[in-house]
Amino acid sequence: MGTRFARRCFLAVPALLGLLLAGCATGRLDATKPVGQEARDIDFLMRLSGWMAVGVGIFVAAAVFAIIVKFRAKPTDDPDDLPPQVHGNRKAELTWTIIPTALLVFLTIFTLPTVFDLARVNAAEDARTIRVEGQQWWWQFSYDLNKDGRYDIVTANDLVIPTGEKVNLEIESNDVIHSFWIPQLNGKKDAVPGRVHDWTIRSDEPGIFYGECAEFCGLSHANMQMRTIVLTPDDFERWVEEQLEGKAAAQAAPAEGSAEAAGAALFETHCISCHVVDGPYESAAGGNANLLAGIAPNLTNLMSRTAFAGALYETYQIGPDGEYLRNPDGSLKLNLAELREWVRNAPDMKPARADNQQGMLDFSEVLTDQDLDNLMAYLQTLGSEPVLPATNAGAG
Amino acid sequence: MAIVTDRPDSADSPDGSGPGTELEVAEPDSHGDDSPRTGVFARPTHATGWREWLFTVDHKKIGIMYGALALFWFLIGGLEIGLVRLQLWAPDGEVISADFYNQLFTMHGVTMVFLVIMPLANAFANYLVPLQIGARDVAFPRMNALGLWIFFFGGIFLNLSWFLGGGADGGWFAYAPNTGMTFSPGHGMDFYALGLQIAGIASLLGAINLLVTIINMRCPGMSLLRMPVFTWMILVVQFLLVFALPVITVALILLTFDRTFDANFFNVDAGADPLLWQHLFWIFGHPEVYILILPAFGVVSETLPVFSRKPLFGYPIVVLSGAAIGFMGWGVWAHHMFTSGMGPVSVAAFSATTMFIAVPTGVKILNWIATMWAGKVRFTVPMMFSVSLVAMFTIGGLSGVMHAIAPADTQQTDTYFIVAHFHYVLVGGALMGMFAGMYYWWPKAFGYHLNDRLGRWHFWLMLLGFNVTFGPMHIVGLQGMARRHSVYGEFDGFEFWNKIATIGYFLMLIAMVILAVNIFRTWGRYRRGLEPGAGADPWDGRTLEWAIPSPVPEHNFDYVPVVSDVDDFWHKKYQPDETGKLRRIAYGNDIAQIGDQHPHLPSPSYWPIVLAMGMPLIGFGLIYNLWIAGIGLLLLVGSMFGWTLEPATDPDAGHGHGHDGYGDHDDDHGGGNHDDSPDGQDDGNGVLTASTANGEAAGD
Repeated sequence: MGTRFARRCFLAVPALLGLLLAGCATGRLDATKPVGQEARDIDFLMRLSGWMAVGVGIFVAAAVFAIIVKFRAKPTDDPDDLPPQVHGNRKAELTWTIIPTALLVFLTIFTLPTVFDLARVNAAEDARTIRVEGQQWWWQFSYDLNKDGRYDIVTANDLVIPTGEKVNLEIESNDVIHSFWIPQLNGKKDAVPGRVHDWTIRSDEPGIFYGECAEFCGLSHANMQMRTIVLTPDDFERWVEEQLEGKAAAQAAPAEGSAEAAGAALFETHCISCHVVDGPYESAAGGNANLLAGIAPNLTNLMSRTAFAGALYETYQIGPDGEYLRNPDGSLKLNLAELREWVRNAPDMKPARADNQQGMLDFSEVLTDQDLDNLMAYLQTLGSEPVLPATNAGAG
Repeated sequence: MAIVTDRPDSADSPDGSGPGTELEVAEPDSHGDDSPRTGVFARPTHATGWREWLFTVDHKKIGIMYGALALFWFLIGGLEIGLVRLQLWAPDGEVISADFYNQLFTMHGVTMVFLVIMPLANAFANYLVPLQIGARDVAFPRMNALGLWIFFFGGIFLNLSWFLGGGADGGWFAYAPNTGMTFSPGHGMDFYALGLQIAGIASLLGAINLLVTIINMRCPGMSLLRMPVFTWMILVVQFLLVFALPVITVALILLTFDRTFDANFFNVDAGADPLLWQHLFWIFGHPEVYILILPAFGVVSETLPVFSRKPLFGYPIVVLSGAAIGFMGWGVWAHHMFTSGMGPVSVAAFSATTMFIAVPTGVKILNWIATMWAGKVRFTVPMMFSVSLVAMFTIGGLSGVMHAIAPADTQQTDTYFIVAHFHYVLVGGALMGMFAGMYYWWPKAFGYHLNDRLGRWHFWLMLLGFNVTFGPMHIVGLQGMARRHSVYGEFDGFEFWNKIATIGYFLMLIAMVILAVNIFRTWGRYRRGLEPGAGADPWDGRTLEWAIPSPVPEHNFDYVPVVSDVDDFWHKKYQPDETGKLRRIAYGNDIAQIGDQHPHLPSPSYWPIVLAMGMPLIGFGLIYNLWIAGIGLLLLVGSMFGWTLEPATDPDAGHGHGHDGYGDHDDDHGGGNHDDSPDGQDDGNGVLTASTANGEAAGD
């Protein structure tokens, strides 16, 4: 009986594995699909240790299984007849102390160099350093292009980097502890208030790689997402230019009497105590002095970001297969409905405690429909549409 | 001097509370003198009903109450996480709000760690340690009761937050500064800090008590290396508690001062470094992991030999590896902080220490397997739970080695891979071990077996549900699902395995319902006389608790046992014949003590529960109004005085002069080489009990 049962169990294994694979539909945060050197080094260690663990696990499971099948007391046994009374075996015990130790030494030898490699930033003179700031509940990325100590591009939710480059990150927090994590590009690094943590990311291919805050940071922790948009060096240069252009364009006041102008006025009344647009509303930056953008995202070039509200919502509409939808003229289809609803009543779309300066206020009692239309018109003037990676135009 | 009480057989003590007639029968005894020092107030003398339980100092009743409370909180903690599982059933779940979700997972963790697994281990430790070392009670019986009641009020206090504005919402790890007033303005974190503080006092009292008990009160002949492994593991755990709890106490005091008195320990703007909290929390928190798991290791180290009918393979190695885990557990705390930014040298060091703590753990597992190997394994319900611990804990241990590799951990930490890992350790390990212990010692504590068929249903559903719940979390964790996220997106690809996990939760829920049915149904049948008594030694046991009647009489042992070997009781049943083969020479039920002595026992007292009541009042006072704290403090100090003025043993309560060898009389029948000098119980205000003296013979 025992052997037939055993055979059945072994037949069940491939069936189970099949089921497992079926469930492994790749998500967009999959740590086991690395695209950069750092993430690949980590992946190697995970696979090495994982397979060793599976090996040891099968050994133990087989032993337990053998005990269940082979050493089960039989009803026919004389209840007073004892099995051989073995109290121990010095040699055996020594063996199974030494073997695990050896396996662990082996793993340690592979581990330690990687620990130090991951801690090493790109020391090249032309290395790019981007400041990453976590705050409840969104990420801000600041670029100092000419290394003059002033940030030239300040953006939110979308971290844009070129391919093939080991990009340095200076990770900070403006309130509580967060953790920066783009699974396919590198492991996590905590953003701790009062500290600056060096970290790097690198991607070999263009694409959109998703990430999120991984350290519990309060009410809307689940909604503190981000994405890394990896562009070819040429595309990246284009993105930089467009950002600077957008910044310049934002200085110009909209034509008088237009909806945009009405929106700009509303923006000045209701938004600038928290939000900033470089140029006209820069000086309004209040709240936390560490922030260029005040306590809410800097909205210069808002339209060039693929997502808003902590990357919870798409700025542009996505089709059923995750592809970007386009207007007849080839431009991206704005997700106006959700953007408008977000401005009207943000706490309804993302948990927040605005009364405690945590998250955006509810404006549904403040802004009329006309106000919202005007605001939408103004916001659409902020920046041009995003530069999307050539090989991965989708978000799914 | 012959006082006759009934032997505790099934008909007389249906509730499993032992004979319960000790004091009642003893009362008319003329032994008491005319100037009793009974303290300020009259002492409780209730020998039956609920008051007997409220004021008891009997380690067995206290142990049972710990167990009952733990199971109650297990229900609460389990239902809390049920809502979380429902929320995660589908992407963008809308079952509960993000705020409530955060409270639920925080309180689930706090409840399961501090109010379920720790007290469950305490239940077994309280009940069994004195029995396994041949003592009449713990060293400080009233302090034992105090620990229980402080734990009782601490748990209630912590959970009252649900009705007073919401539970704690900062995670069980409560990382600063998210738990400060600025970011968590509700009272949830106050209840967390003060509730854990109160529960911590209870654990500390219990730890000191058990340490003194194990070190001083072992019966003659029981050297340290003859101690049952369960008692050994409890000893290691108490050392861990004594050193780890002060650290969390300090951390919680800092947090309370920050929140209540505007201190700046974790205020970054005032120059604080939030990593201070992380270090403090995990210096406590990692030994805490071993505090949770080692008692379960102790339980299976008892059950595996009994049901394999072989001695434990490599007893000294199993003991030493347990102690080694206890020591090494202090050098690995920062592996919870690999991504916190503490620098590559620290990361490398803690990575290496963490890996090598797997060695003693692995040795234990292989020794258990060798114990079962070539045995005649009886797959009773406790054995099935024990074997599942060996297998399931192994999985948790192996994934633990995976994130000892710091770079791998930067991907795995704060994902469901970690959730899977520690649930395999704490459910597959600790809880399976506790269930094994429940089924194993139930007949000892209550005099009858839990129903076997329901027990098997419980086991199989539990094992299945557990794996269906937590197995998929390995996969979904590697796919990048972060912990403590109240929602996930539809493009994340997490839905399938989350659905499976939620189904698994309900399987476990059904398993727990079956356990509850088993407990109540079997109890009812026993009361109606439908369940047979278990007898003193139902499993052919190896340790001293099986050498006395079931349920255990109030005084535990009629006379002090004397041991000369590991598993001494077993050797009284089996001896080698002329060919050297072991033969049964006696049956446990025949050679067990009969429980007919009536020695002087520590008397019940009002003070432990009254003193404990002061604790939550102080807690409320710190949150709402310091005047309430004043009342609590008065109650606390007042009962301390009352306590001090009250002798441990009521001189009014008589006692029989049994031939018990415990030193409260001059007839040394027990055969121990203990001295007969007057012991703790005679000096009136001492806290030591009648059974102290025998410990002196127990040195190595």
